[in-house]
Amino acid sequence: MGLVQNVIFGLVQGSYIAIAAIGFTMIYGIVNMINFAYGEYLTIGAFVGFVAATALPLPLPAAVLVAMAGAGVVSLLLAKAFFTPINHTGPVPMLLTSIGLGLVLRNVIRLGAGRSARRFDVDTVTYQFRGIPEVPIGPVDLLGDFFVTSEHLVVIGSALVVFLALHALLTRTDVGIAMRAMSDDVDLARVRGIDTQLIRNAVWVLAGMLAGLAGVLLGVQTNVSVSTGFSQILQILAAAILGGAGSPYGAIAGAYVIGLVLALSTAFLPASMTGVSSAMAFLVLVLVLLVKPSGIAGQEVREA
Amino acid sequence: MSVSDRLPDTVGRRLPEGDGATAAAGGLLAVVVALLVAWLPVTTPIPGPLSVFVEVGVLFGLYGILVLGLDLQYGHTGLVNFGHVVFFAVGAYTVAMLSAVDSFSGVSLGYPWPLALVAGVLAAAVVGGVIGATSLRLRDDFLAIATLAAAEIFHNVTVNFDGTFGGNTGILSIPRPLDELAGDFDTALLATLVLFAGLMLLTYAALTRLTEAPYGRVLRAIRADELVTRSVGKSTLRYKMAAFVYGAALAGLAGGLFALYNGAVAPGFFTIQVTVTVWIGMLLGGAGNHRAVLGGLAIIMGLRLVSRFANEAIPVTAGTFASVRLIVVGMILVLVIRYRPAGIWGDPDELGVDT
Repeated sequence: MGLVQNVIFGLVQGSYIAIAAIGFTMIYGIVNMINFAYGEYLTIGAFVGFVAATALPLPLPAAVLVAMAGAGVVSLLLAKAFFTPINHTGPVPMLLTSIGLGLVLRNVIRLGAGRSARRFDVDTVTYQFRGIPEVPIGPVDLLGDFFVTSEHLVVIGSALVVFLALHALLTRTDVGIAMRAMSDDVDLARVRGIDTQLIRNAVWVLAGMLAGLAGVLLGVQTNVSVSTGFSQILQILAAAILGGAGSPYGAIAGAYVIGLVLALSTAFLPASMTGVSSAMAFLVLVLVLLVKPSGIAGQEVREA
Repeated sequence: MSVSDRLPDTVGRRLPEGDGATAAAGGLLAVVVALLVAWLPVTTPIPGPLSVFVEVGVLFGLYGILVLGLDLQYGHTGLVNFGHVVFFAVGAYTVAMLSAVDSFSGVSLGYPWPLALVAGVLAAAVVGGVIGATSLRLRDDFLAIATLAAAEIFHNVTVNFDGTFGGNTGILSIPRPLDELAGDFDTALLATLVLFAGLMLLTYAALTRLTEAPYGRVLRAIRADELVTRSVGKSTLRYKMAAFVYGAALAGLAGGLFALYNGAVAPGFFTIQVTVTVWIGMLLGGAGNHRAVLGGLAIIMGLRLVSRFANEAIPVTAGTFASVRLIVVGMILVLVIRYRPAGIWGDPDELGVDT
């Protein structure tokens, strides 16, 4: 497989990691917690989208909107039930609660949906391209032939739309500016008259919606199963931390780094080692943290 | 503040802090009894229905060592290690690779098992040192993530490098010293139960001694306020590092013992489930109190026992039942943190949590 092909795979993977990682990192920045149950929000979104697309049935774009709304509501309700009441206790109890909640959600979904994987019924168009030179370096061609599917384009396009919408939200709207203010300094934001609990709720809804979108995209690309979201949580986490936890723009950069590293490591590593690729994401993470403990674009996270 | 200084009104709500000397004597006695049980040519059949209790008891001994080590890290020093299973796994795999004889998958060098066990403890300590050196400077929840990630990476590596770690099959034909000594299976199981209980008590004694010494006071001071502790001239990073490595080494010991008891290691034994069980046990009992964490662990392991019998009584598939059990376990974790953050026998004042 050519290098170009792997870069495309990397961009696709980076795109849905990015969409999810923005939500994840905003929860970190504004609610001040690492939400380990976040992967399950993707799964919930994927299932809601799947039901909307098959049982109702809605066209896929409408199903995506239903999934985003569903995951947003679930995210807000879970936050109100489990996270808001212990908000004052600090990051560690919140993290532990999210790990317990993730276990509960995963198994509730498993009880409801079983272990079998479901597939979205979508027509895929594949565009073939011929690479110009084919210079083999090691196991891969330098450029080589490559293809792009309509799903790839949808994923990358959705990510771009999300980035633009996010940028507009954070720079042009009161809610977005309040979010940035809270991310910088919660106390100062409160003193300036920002309703911090309202903004936190808004972040929960937004993060849930992004998880729902990422979940459906992932479900369309692969399949919908109990492990859809959980299989992504460590990559999402790596992207968010790599980008500097709390920074949405950093998370986007981190996600593409992780996506490309994963895709290229499968190309350059011998076939027997392809399963190690998720470990590669962490290797990158650890290396970056050693050099710059606060991530690529992060504020200082060092306590001592 | 040492535990004996505590005000009377809070004492009543706690299990009394353990007596290290009694535990040490009990532990030594148990180890001797275990060896006698195994070595004397008397066979002791375990009645069928009881064997489940014995098996869970053996596991309790191992998890007890794990939870005591974790409590040194979290309960006493405040280090949030959510990858405890990785040290358990490193100990087990090291012992397996060094001592297994002709396993058909993975490395099996066939060295004597005592050497392998020592190497397992050392390997876990070294891995603890490496993870600690890279992550102990980070914020609490980042340490949790780093350790969680380390466990994930190790799991990934053991599955994928099947030439070394045996892949999903794992490494088999690890020597089982007690089985060889005892001859028959039931006697060996009984001896293992007593032996692990003894080793757990010895661990308990050693840690009680450590945490009651001025050293333990420094650890609790770090937990309470690291900045203040540093300002009185303590190298907090060195103390944190030491506590982290001790906890890791203990987990390595438990892992090594597990390999020598089980006779085989495989990735399936070392999932996040182990970490979650040990954490819930610790939080439920009350972090920072050796006796309390063992009590909490006993409740969780008891739940496992009850659920095993319940599954026989209730006609649902094993998969459904496993899901229900994990939902219950997850909810316990969530509810304990919310309503009983200091645990059943923990001291809210010392842990700095409000109830």
